[in-house]
Amino acid sequence: MKPLIIRGRGLVGGRAAGPAMVSRRAISGWSGLDEKTGLVIEKGHPFEGRSIKDKVLVLSGGKGSNGWSVHFHAAKVRGIGPAALVLPKLDSRLAVTVAVLGLPAITDLESDPFEAIDVDAHVVVDADQGFVEIHRM
Amino acid sequence: MELTIEENKMLDGEYGPLVSHALRKTIDYGLLVEAERLCDVTMAHLFCGAHPYLEAYPATNFDEAHSEMSFVGPKDLVFDRLSPHCRCQSDVFPLPANDWEAMTGDLDKARLNDLYLGRFAAMGVRLVGTCVPYLAGFIPMPGEHYVSSESHAVLLMNSLWGACGHSDGIESGFWAAVCGKTPLWGLHDPAQRKGTRLYAVEARLGTTHDWDLFGHAAGLKIPPHEIPVFVKFPRPDIHGLKSAMASMATTSGVELSHFLGLGPEAPTLEAVLRPGASKEITVISAGDLEDSRAYLSCGRRVPVDYVSVGCPHLTIHQLGEVADFLGGRKVSANTVTHVWTAAPFKETADRSGITKSIESSGARLLTNTCPLVSGILPQGARSLAFDSGKQAHYMKSETDCLISYGSTMDCLKTALSGVWEGATG
Repeated sequence: MKPLIIRGRGLVGGRAAGPAMVSRRAISGWSGLDEKTGLVIEKGHPFEGRSIKDKVLVLSGGKGSNGWSVHFHAAKVRGIGPAALVLPKLDSRLAVTVAVLGLPAITDLESDPFEAIDVDAHVVVDADQGFVEIHRM
Repeated sequence: MELTIEENKMLDGEYGPLVSHALRKTIDYGLLVEAERLCDVTMAHLFCGAHPYLEAYPATNFDEAHSEMSFVGPKDLVFDRLSPHCRCQSDVFPLPANDWEAMTGDLDKARLNDLYLGRFAAMGVRLVGTCVPYLAGFIPMPGEHYVSSESHAVLLMNSLWGACGHSDGIESGFWAAVCGKTPLWGLHDPAQRKGTRLYAVEARLGTTHDWDLFGHAAGLKIPPHEIPVFVKFPRPDIHGLKSAMASMATTSGVELSHFLGLGPEAPTLEAVLRPGASKEITVISAGDLEDSRAYLSCGRRVPVDYVSVGCPHLTIHQLGEVADFLGGRKVSANTVTHVWTAAPFKETADRSGITKSIESSGARLLTNTCPLVSGILPQGARSLAFDSGKQAHYMKSETDCLISYGSTMDCLKTALSGVWEGATG
């Protein structure tokens, strides 16, 4: 099947790819991500028990403690951070996380990635050219 | 981005590499959110101490650890100054300042924390060490731009009197404190502070605990990016709002909530609601509060090893209520009981006879942190009780301990008997 392309605004340059973790539900940083294992620990979240390592995270927003970015940052420093970020709309927690992680990230997408990207679909984020390429199964 | 002459001087290194780097990171952040300018930050509430997240970087050297974990900069960055235009005080520490041994026997950890706090003190950070900075002199005026690492403090100060801050993290707080700037966007821009969605409370909120439950339940109904307007709600006091904001900022990402007729930006519905926003009202019902209670508390008369009250940190009035309730009775020998507050209130409690009264029961009055931030529980504790939706909610993810949750008095009754005395079922 031909990959689907969604255009958007590249935030931090670069190109990265990986399996997608997709949820419309905002996620906690504090008590949401175990930065020592890379596993999401937030009770009841669709990502619970899954590792963010080398994943393309498709997130609607942050919630909980203001210490959101430090947990994703600590995971990255430990070598178990995500590959790229797809963020249709930025909030303050997400924006600072993008500035801290310096990973390929994209926002202001021309269509809804939560509709278009299936969980575990292979996704390429090209933040230099400003598009997300979705390989559908 | 349009920079002032002074900002260009900072960027060019006239004030040294740390200031230049902090401003560069602030500009990077601003470009992401398409800010056209920066604004002056005059107050910063900072996450100081040897906190566990810093352990990701394998260095116990203050400057090296902060170069990576706070500034994402070169290894040789020396973190030794803050903006002279920004008044700084510290958020909670990773250990109790008055008795670290009450939480851990790890002397190395305590020494490292003291070393880190000493560096912050030398820079001029006032080591208040509380999550309720607004009760300890950190009071940004309406329209004043500040940074804070405490989510509920941001929500409360923005909502109750129109201060301008974001929940934008620990690193960006340090950047702002060093360069005195943050991007002019979002809640720093008066035009972007209007409410986007209406809510009504259809539940009795008679006690601080009711407000705590309300915050948890309401947060679950606030989607990302929304600015709620509560059009119907009982009149709160500061204790109720303190708890409501803490639990609301746990289950949502909300940074500003308007309460119609209460905050300065919400005199009328017309003034507070964003033009074109839906007038549909989402109800927070008594049933929603019950659902939150059922989620947060195991609801059984189980033996409890550890009782922790004081999230957010208790005020001096709440400490007096704790002392009055305990009335010199002894807590159970099977239960460790901690009461949390900020050091300035502890000092007052000492002088008022409150500390002596609480501690004569066998409970400990501790300062400057909490089980969640320290990440430390008493050894062997497997069944925990909290008077805070924030602690209970996060602890459900952090641990596999049994969690009970109720009012402060429910928790204190539990401390006396050693068995959960709050709501069951």
